[in-house]
Amino acid sequence: MARRLRFIRDRRAITPVLSNLLLTVIAVAAMAIATTATYVITTNLRETMSERVIIEDIWFSSSTGNIRVCLHNVGKVSIHVSQVYVNHTSRFYDSLPVLEISTHAWLNVSCSWATGSLYYVDIVTSRGTHVGGYYEAP
Amino acid sequence: MKRLRQDKRGVSNVIVVMLSLVLVVIIVGNVILWSYEMNQLDWERIQERIALTNAEQMIRSTWFPSGCEYTTNSGNRVNRTYTDTWAVNGSYETFKENERESQDSYGLDIEGGFTVDLSTYPREYTESAEIVVRYKTSDTLERWFIKAYEWTWKTYSDVGFNTTAGDSPATEFKYYAVNLTTVWQDYVQTNGTIRMKFCDANPDANQTTVDIDFIGVRLVIEGAKLSLRNDGSVTCHVVAVWILNATWHERYTADLFFNAGISTDYIRADIPLPEGKYITKVVTERGNIALFAKN
Repeated sequence: MARRLRFIRDRRAITPVLSNLLLTVIAVAAMAIATTATYVITTNLRETMSERVIIEDIWFSSSTGNIRVCLHNVGKVSIHVSQVYVNHTSRFYDSLPVLEISTHAWLNVSCSWATGSLYYVDIVTSRGTHVGGYYEAP
Repeated sequence: MKRLRQDKRGVSNVIVVMLSLVLVVIIVGNVILWSYEMNQLDWERIQERIALTNAEQMIRSTWFPSGCEYTTNSGNRVNRTYTDTWAVNGSYETFKENERESQDSYGLDIEGGFTVDLSTYPREYTESAEIVVRYKTSDTLERWFIKAYEWTWKTYSDVGFNTTAGDSPATEFKYYAVNLTTVWQDYVQTNGTIRMKFCDANPDANQTTVDIDFIGVRLVIEGAKLSLRNDGSVTCHVVAVWILNATWHERYTADLFFNAGISTDYIRADIPLPEGKYITKVVTERGNIALFAKN
């Protein structure tokens, strides 16, 4: 009983407990932030590494006057096209839904073309992967 | 133990090491191992070497020979077996007429079962079917008929065939072919089974010997045959076929696996090839493309 009373009256014991508790909370929070940041960064890195997309076909369509590009996702993560450049100029295109793994889709690029001309088509995904090349219009 | 509990710095170090280990595991799992996985994918893609050596129109399927010995409703099998009727090679099966209803009246009636591959040649892309017999007889006085089993009426018939007049035989091997025209589906069951009969018109006084070198069934299609060669060291999985010409680009989904070092013919009854110049492309699952240009 006497010991208990002594412990309650001992004001000096509170400070070390609070400081330890505070330090623990700060340490746990810092590690949580570090872990989350590491997870997010490495996951983004992994997804960027996993992107593989090919152009299966490019069709200079005379019926629509546009360029149609067939993309095939051969990577290990779904992709989203964010920009299309023709001769280094950004072009409008029909918004493509997310291209899932092992699927293909047509991309209609608004760009007039002329027979025999050379075009550099560059497709950029939201993670920054580029796919493209030079194509001569038939 | 007491010392360890009092050593706050030691506990702190252990916690820091454990949490750092978690971070290391995340980094290793997400980056290093995944990098290894993707390197493997790229390496396999480089190793894959597929060549499209030819693409041609295919208007007839391959031959489907008899899957079992012929049943003799009348007559007897004299020599050899049904496997001798699988190819035109001079190796033939011999049958002989035997007596029918009355004495001194001889006839031959044989039946055979064939199975056409409807997975390669789907019904919806098949235009007709053909039955061919290569045979010779010891006498040439009677006519011979090909009939097929009509699955709805459950009887042998030649209704709808391009010819129903029969064939006049010869003492040397000759071909007798019938086309089942547009009614072919009545004679082919949904699992691809077709039963055919080869018989003489009426019993006659001569006991004829019939040598059959070949009997086969094939389908009439309007498809494509792609000749592929795998020069790489990994198995190829073709996932798409493209047919391109000046006015049209058409993609067909495919699902073909073939091993390293193998050449194979990929037959598609649903791919009509255009007239004139065209390009055929095949795309693999790993993202490689092979093409063949027809000029």
